[in-house]
Amino acid sequence: MAARERFQQLKARLGNALLRADLPSDGRLYAYVTPAAVRDACQYLFRDLDARYLISIGADDRPYSGKFLVAHNFAFDREHLLCSVMTHLPPEKPAVDSIADLVPAAGWAEREFRDLVGIEPVGHKFPKRLVLPDGWPDGVHPLRKDVPWNHVPPGYDENREFTFDDPPEGCTVVPFGPFHPTLDEPSHFRLYIEGEVVRGCEYRGFMVHRGIEKLAESVLTYNEIPMAAERICGICGCVHNVAYAQAVEQAIALQPPPRAEFIRTLMLELERLHSHLLWVGLAGHIVGFDTLFMQCFRIREPFMWLAEQISGNRKTYALCLIGGVRWNITPEHKSGLTQALDRLETEWLAVVAALAKDRNLQKRTLGIGLANRSLVKEFGLLGPVARAAGVDIDARRDHPYAAYDRVEFDVITESGGDVWSRILVRAREVFESIRIMRQCLDKMPAGPIQTEIREELPVARIGLSSVEAPRGEAHHFVITGEQNRPRRWRVRAPTYQNLQAIPAMIKDQQLADMTISLGSIDPCFSCTDRLELIDIRTRLSRVCSVEDLIRWQRNSQLSANLPAANPGSVPLQWRKERQP
Amino acid sequence: MNTQFFLLVLGGLANAGLVLLLAPGFEGVLRKVTARIQSRQGPPLLQPYFDLLKLLGKEDLESGDSPGMQRFAVYLSLATTLTIAAMLPLGYPAPLQGAGDVLLLVYLLTLSSVCTLLAGLAAGSTFSLLGISREMMTVITLEPLLAVALLTGAVHTQSLRIDTVLSGSVYAADHFPFSGLLLCVLLLFSFQAFLQRVPFDIAEAETEIMEGPLVEYSGPKLALFKHAQMAKLILYSAIFVNLFFPWGAHWAFPLGWLAFWFKVAILVALATIIAATHARYRIDQAIRYFATLLGISLLALILATVGY
Repeated sequence: MAARERFQQLKARLGNALLRADLPSDGRLYAYVTPAAVRDACQYLFRDLDARYLISIGADDRPYSGKFLVAHNFAFDREHLLCSVMTHLPPEKPAVDSIADLVPAAGWAEREFRDLVGIEPVGHKFPKRLVLPDGWPDGVHPLRKDVPWNHVPPGYDENREFTFDDPPEGCTVVPFGPFHPTLDEPSHFRLYIEGEVVRGCEYRGFMVHRGIEKLAESVLTYNEIPMAAERICGICGCVHNVAYAQAVEQAIALQPPPRAEFIRTLMLELERLHSHLLWVGLAGHIVGFDTLFMQCFRIREPFMWLAEQISGNRKTYALCLIGGVRWNITPEHKSGLTQALDRLETEWLAVVAALAKDRNLQKRTLGIGLANRSLVKEFGLLGPVARAAGVDIDARRDHPYAAYDRVEFDVITESGGDVWSRILVRAREVFESIRIMRQCLDKMPAGPIQTEIREELPVARIGLSSVEAPRGEAHHFVITGEQNRPRRWRVRAPTYQNLQAIPAMIKDQQLADMTISLGSIDPCFSCTDRLELIDIRTRLSRVCSVEDLIRWQRNSQLSANLPAANPGSVPLQWRKERQP
Repeated sequence: MNTQFFLLVLGGLANAGLVLLLAPGFEGVLRKVTARIQSRQGPPLLQPYFDLLKLLGKEDLESGDSPGMQRFAVYLSLATTLTIAAMLPLGYPAPLQGAGDVLLLVYLLTLSSVCTLLAGLAAGSTFSLLGISREMMTVITLEPLLAVALLTGAVHTQSLRIDTVLSGSVYAADHFPFSGLLLCVLLLFSFQAFLQRVPFDIAEAETEIMEGPLVEYSGPKLALFKHAQMAKLILYSAIFVNLFFPWGAHWAFPLGWLAFWFKVAILVALATIIAATHARYRIDQAIRYFATLLGISLLALILATVGY
């Protein structure tokens, strides 16, 4: 009844400005308001009703309704309710009042729809480009429907450097990125340093933005998108795979079979296990404690093998289709997992006991990278970062999906809000994952794993799906569409919110604490702008530059053939690869 | 006279050669033990030799702000290290011990830190400058500690001769050697810092400032720098053994010699275990730690002057 109650409250506050509301189920509320009432509605939800900010979405709806669409999504976690405030904007010069001053967490999302859809957030304090590079011409917005997916606008200068703001007086600039040994992925923090103390920073990222959303909206089809979604992230890919499938299923009111739901839960927890083990090790590496890193990776390895046995791959499980999953769990998988979980539990207990006694590690992590409750609220921080600050949110319990409503587990919280608390939260969540996986293996019902879909999927339905990734909640927003693909698919990975709070978390800290503070949110940038090809028969390899890749992609189609089929390409230098 | 001079030089060179030859071997042991602690197979014992050979065979690139200074820094670093080697007793009396006293030894040890500063300045990048500022802070608080230990020995024995001081002189007090025991403990606590290994590899901290002063080094120059660092592992162990654990030094040739290297190996193993079980300290934490040790060491020096 939560949805109805919130709808009544909104109606009372907004009056006629609330144009229409859809309540497709008890867990969803879609409120359509006039553009002028957007700010009021968001302030009411975020401040007065204490909703948690999720994400803002801009969409080009002109081919269907003749208008642009902006949606601000919020969550009421205690009431298991996801809520979206939507408004339609005129097709000429679309602009909407910025809510970033009311809801600081919306800062990036508004800059993003300004870049990609061309909707101007009026009154935004820092309307700098976020996603598009500085060399991109003004007025070309890639996510608009009249822009083809492979369009390169004339006047695009790919070599133009980013413009940065001037550092404050008395500070030196330390470039942390675009490449740095701790990041392993391109992303650029310009730190303003006074002595050894960080006084501020500016962030530029999105250097390898892959346009997966655009591909999904213009090239791929419903059941191809899960494969692309999985490749959003190299660590928690299965999360996006499941979240997308669930968003579509929710939009068209399709229930996957129970066994499929249990398999999804099992694989999501398997992914959480490997991610948490990896992260604890990585945190050790960042502060120079490589033994912790190596031991964590040794303990983690059996689960990578099991994932390969189950899905055929160590990491990309290729799990979901709309309405189910692609493969089954066999009794052999079950016994393998049971044994591995028992061994993990013993070994992890030893690691956690050792961690708890490690004064040396605590010295580097206690009181570092602080994010308190109010920062969590203002920036919409998620996952272990929020839970380490004592904010009890977990999408698995708050917005149950898959089979999480049929298993028992605890949500782990700590109160420190520092890096040490985040280590503890992740370390203890491993035991909860073990618990959930054991229950899944026990309770998994027999039956089909896929619901058959006979008709075309209905169009213009909206679906929201939140999935608790190891790093925090991943949120997917889907509007179903024609030609067997969605009209709009917006992915909000947890790092998108957590990264926005980094400048606040590292301010006035030692430079040496910067890496572990950043590492503590487990940042996930994407990383595919370089490719090495190896010819298996001749054992020759070559390295392709960015230019080669772009040339192939433009001259051929998505499934780019090798340059032999591509007359425009310049022959590449082959070099002899050393025999292993 | 000429023959004696010739023999002295030859002996000094032999000492330097021995350190150069053995240093990568000890590094290999260190890596293997680390790997075992981390449940890894680890590289072959000879891997550091291969690494150095590979680096030596690479192109000698000139980079950074002032390539000339960069080259000079690395030559000076290795030369300083080898000079120290020539003056140290390595299980037998040092061939060149008459060439200088313990004060020279202290200067030379400081000079090898100055080389790191030069290297960082030559690179001229933000990361290397951060690295040398950290290195400088460490040197200022850490080097006096060793100087105090050597001075204490000198006070006890009323001599600055290397062979006299570097033979357990810290225990040569008139009364019970409280100062010597105290310094022994203090320097064991700071041993890791002299070697610049975890938890005190702050000036290089790969995950923070990308190897700091070494950021612009590659190929043969990097090989020489690395070799000098490996040699330091032996040199500091040798100084510690001579100063604090002299027992067995005067046994007949193969026994005393073996005992010496056995003790060096134990110190290296200790350093390895500490490095593998600790996280890196922050520079402010490290400085506070060194300052505490330095304060206590002054107490030891005062004790030494009154015969304890």
